[in-house]
Amino acid sequence: MIDPSAASQQLFELWKKQLDEGTQAWTRLLGQNPTPTPDPLSFWKPAMEHGLQTWARIFATTPVAPDLMSQWKQFLDQSIETWSKALGQVMNTDAYAQAMGKALDQWLTSYAPVKKSTDQSIEATLQALNLPTRAQVTSLAKQIMDLEERLDRLEDGLAAILRRLEGAKA
Amino acid sequence: MGQERFADVVERFANGYADLAAAASPERVKQWQEELERGFKRMTNLAEMVQHPVEPRTGQTPREEVYRKGKARLYRYASRRSHKTPLLFVPNLGISRPYIFDLLPGGSFVEHMTREGFDFYLLDWGVFGPEDNDLSFEDCVVKILPRVARKVLESSGAESLSVLGYCMGAPLSSSFVASHPEVPVKNYINMAGPIDFSKVGLFGLWLDRRFFDVDRFIDTMGYLPADMVKAGFKLLRPTMDLSTTLNLWWNLWNDRYVEGFNALNKWANEYTAFPGEFFRQWVRDFYQGNKLYRGELVFGGRPVRLEAIECPLFVVGAKEDYIAPPECVRALMTAVRSRDKEYIELPGGHISLIAGRGASVHCWPRVSSWLASRS
Repeated sequence: MIDPSAASQQLFELWKKQLDEGTQAWTRLLGQNPTPTPDPLSFWKPAMEHGLQTWARIFATTPVAPDLMSQWKQFLDQSIETWSKALGQVMNTDAYAQAMGKALDQWLTSYAPVKKSTDQSIEATLQALNLPTRAQVTSLAKQIMDLEERLDRLEDGLAAILRRLEGAKA
Repeated sequence: MGQERFADVVERFANGYADLAAAASPERVKQWQEELERGFKRMTNLAEMVQHPVEPRTGQTPREEVYRKGKARLYRYASRRSHKTPLLFVPNLGISRPYIFDLLPGGSFVEHMTREGFDFYLLDWGVFGPEDNDLSFEDCVVKILPRVARKVLESSGAESLSVLGYCMGAPLSSSFVASHPEVPVKNYINMAGPIDFSKVGLFGLWLDRRFFDVDRFIDTMGYLPADMVKAGFKLLRPTMDLSTTLNLWWNLWNDRYVEGFNALNKWANEYTAFPGEFFRQWVRDFYQGNKLYRGELVFGGRPVRLEAIECPLFVVGAKEDYIAPPECVRALMTAVRSRDKEYIELPGGHISLIAGRGASVHCWPRVSSWLASRS
């Protein structure tokens, strides 16, 4: 009988070799560019290596069971966790935060005039149709909230008077 | 391995398992059968989820509305009320809906606390619209929370109350307790609520004033839309959805897991907007200025100093909390003047303190037993 652990180890080794060769081919291809470009693989390589090693370890140490799926699940869980940590490291940098802030700024710059003109045209259309605009509905809601606040203040005042009266009685 | 072809190895790999199956013991065969049954059950449940999606019945603990102000609602839950001191639960404002605290029977924080005999009040801040854009953090602390506390005392007939702040509810409620010494707060609990914003993690970096101009954002948008809240939280943990989907597939054979998943997934994808002025103050004074921890806030003419809190204090942090890391939650321990104070740090993340099986086993009993002896 063939030892399934050895077979799975070989399968893994072969897959890893193919991945390495593929990576080298891509690196060679990128290397043909006359201007030296930063190696995008260098950042992810530790994460990928970690995932591969984890898989290898699982296959080497876990006894073969019918639930091959559980080994696969374990591998996926650890891979996702590794990717999550790697992404977390990238996102936890000033450069990332700056890039995000810049993108948001640019989006706001382009969004503001579009929003303004859209709001104006919608408002003009609704007025022409003799329908309430969003601003009018919002204003009405605010007036009701103000009224509610006044009632609350009245209630606060009454409660204070009642407390004082009860205190005087006692 | 030499020049062996990939297909050869795959074949040998498959043969290895086939040989193993041929020589399998009855136990092993039984395991295979179970695995197969699970596979079928997964497919059945998946088909059911896709063809007949079920709306989860969340929030089933009986309750009555005691007070309402604007969009905020104060609910009192039914319980045998064996403890004298009522408990006011203050959750986050915006971001998500509060039915997570009463998710499903058997997995509900509210249900646990009411079963333990607490007179439990939940403040639901509500879902905000454009008419609420002027609502600020200060309004919540000065106008809403004092009235809510008074309604709790009036409806319960108690002389004092305990306050529990969860997530953003902790800075909100601690600001209230610290600035309203006349309100008789007997105990205060902070669950996963950020206090020292210099240690608040990724959100702290992304909202840093060097990179994020909150005034420009709110002046343009008017508010923080729910989709942006969602994007921010998804970005905080980009692999979360993948992980959730994988776990769903893995546990799809388990009907109870699927029921819990449906409810939690509904909640996790139902984000709510932030009122504009609230978000401006939240970012400027808390994330960028760390003014609560520094004691620099003044709300309604009242200084907000955490050292004014003297009541018994219980703080719960989560080890893998990336929204409110434990070190920024724990900071409350040293900021207050309470003598009776305790801090615990539990495994899991931000949500795992308030939902899920781990919470019902590790977290809720700790909270209820600490509070029971002081209520």
